[in-house]
Amino acid sequence: MSAFNDFWAGRELWQEPLFAGVLAAALLSYLGVFVVLKRMVFVSAALSEVSGVGVAFAFYVSAVAGVDPHTHHFGIPILLDPTWFSLLFACLAGVLFSLRPGHRKLAPETVVGIGYIAASALVLAILNSPRIAQEAHAVGDILFGNAVTVPFSQIEALLAVGAVGLLIHALFFKELLFVSYDSETAVVQGVGVLRYELVLNLVIAVIISVATRAVGALPVFAFTVVPAAAALMVTERLRTTIALSVAIGIVSAAVGYYVSWVESLPTGASMVIVASLFLVPGLLRLLRRGTV
Amino acid sequence: MDLVRLERAVIGYRVPLLPPLDLGVKAGSTLGVLGPNGAGKTALLKSLLGLLPLLGGRRLLPQGRAPRVGYVPQRDRLDQSWPLTVLDVVLMGRTPLLGPLHRPRTHDRKRAREALSEIGVGDLADRPLYALSGGQHQRVLIARAIAAEPELLVLDEPTSAMDPAAERVLLELVERLKRAHDLSVVLVTHQLTAVAGFATEVALVDRVRGVFEVGPVRQMLDPKKLERLYGREVRVAEVGGQTAIVIGSVAAGNGSGDSPTEVEEDR
Repeated sequence: MSAFNDFWAGRELWQEPLFAGVLAAALLSYLGVFVVLKRMVFVSAALSEVSGVGVAFAFYVSAVAGVDPHTHHFGIPILLDPTWFSLLFACLAGVLFSLRPGHRKLAPETVVGIGYIAASALVLAILNSPRIAQEAHAVGDILFGNAVTVPFSQIEALLAVGAVGLLIHALFFKELLFVSYDSETAVVQGVGVLRYELVLNLVIAVIISVATRAVGALPVFAFTVVPAAAALMVTERLRTTIALSVAIGIVSAAVGYYVSWVESLPTGASMVIVASLFLVPGLLRLLRRGTV
Repeated sequence: MDLVRLERAVIGYRVPLLPPLDLGVKAGSTLGVLGPNGAGKTALLKSLLGLLPLLGGRRLLPQGRAPRVGYVPQRDRLDQSWPLTVLDVVLMGRTPLLGPLHRPRTHDRKRAREALSEIGVGDLADRPLYALSGGQHQRVLIARAIAAEPELLVLDEPTSAMDPAAERVLLELVERLKRAHDLSVVLVTHQLTAVAGFATEVALVDRVRGVFEVGPVRQMLDPKKLERLYGREVRVAEVGGQTAIVIGSVAAGNGSGDSPTEVEEDR
């Protein structure tokens, strides 16, 4: 009980990061249902990495231009702000991942894989550039977030992109579902498949980009995969799957944060471990059915 | 009147697959697109529907607009693990009618259930997709196409992997739907029986042999034409008012002969 009392006593410290974690988890767990069902789980990892390229690139350009990145909004011209670069790069990747390669051997997941590999290499190359060697550690924090302390501006950004993303899904849910489930029939029946794939991927890209900076790459990847996978194993209706996935995401973020606080564990890793526990019921169900 | 027509159309993905062709889908007709696997049937279908840009020639819409299409894809291309009910899938067919920003309403659910009942699977509406047999899944996809209130029903290999009895039942269902809804039908298939008894016109397609011919079914189910298409000896005969098609040994000039390998019979 004393652990919880200590935790509660320190609420001034954790209120904002916990809220950011729960909010990111809820949004990503919802989008994760689409990502997992469309068999594009690697999209999340690739988009995180690509938005990281945007951040690193902003620092690199600032260094080349002789602008001190630590001065933030007072010193960096708004066009060199890492946030914009991060969003821009993630959106470009979202567009790229929406295109259907006209080559039979080049599946969409191959394009995503190439995006991930290229982004990883670019981040490594830029971070090891002598021009920003002194900033590498700070860039790393901005790149992959830090769920322990989250600036309020990032919570605002998450709320904004989350609200827009959910509104888009509410307005176009039936189209997004149709093109995700059966794009061939959707296109024959006159539903703009490319348009809605683009909308879906851009919403995912923007939310992943903002969430990665708020809570880190690992929990973002985990929340786009694990809650949806856990929910899919035990549900048979789409609405139930979505509701359960979001609930698992929220509980995992909250409980994971608490566990990380009382056990002094890394916050992101703690959230991921808690989320992974929700896979157990589904795995037991599969074992009972003899399908594993 | 044609619902859609290709004139001197060159179809293909960057490279022409077939010689320039003329093809129209007449109102009230059933066009069977027949050819072996990999013959270019899907490319032809996509071109007809305006999904694959023509490399040459033109696509005409004599009504001044594209016909409303109900499409039945090959069912093995769809993922049955999605947590969807049968009704969810059939309601997808209503999407183009509803337009963006509108959710399915009671009327749409009613039409979707009616489509399921008409196909003979009304009791499956609330069943999860994964619990369906292959035949039931196929019927659900047809119900979705009918729920779209189409003028043109397009079926892509609807009878592949079906036994002859199930194939006959499905084709009779399509025939019944055609009459009930005053539909035109395009049936893409590599199975002769699917065409013999049901199509009014047949297009023979094979990009490997450079074959494209279209005409009335009686004219196209000619042994010589089918031999050219399949590279094998073909016999066509009327047996008890039905068309029996026997595909046998390799046609003269194409190698050594052997015993008949396939017998297809239809009315």
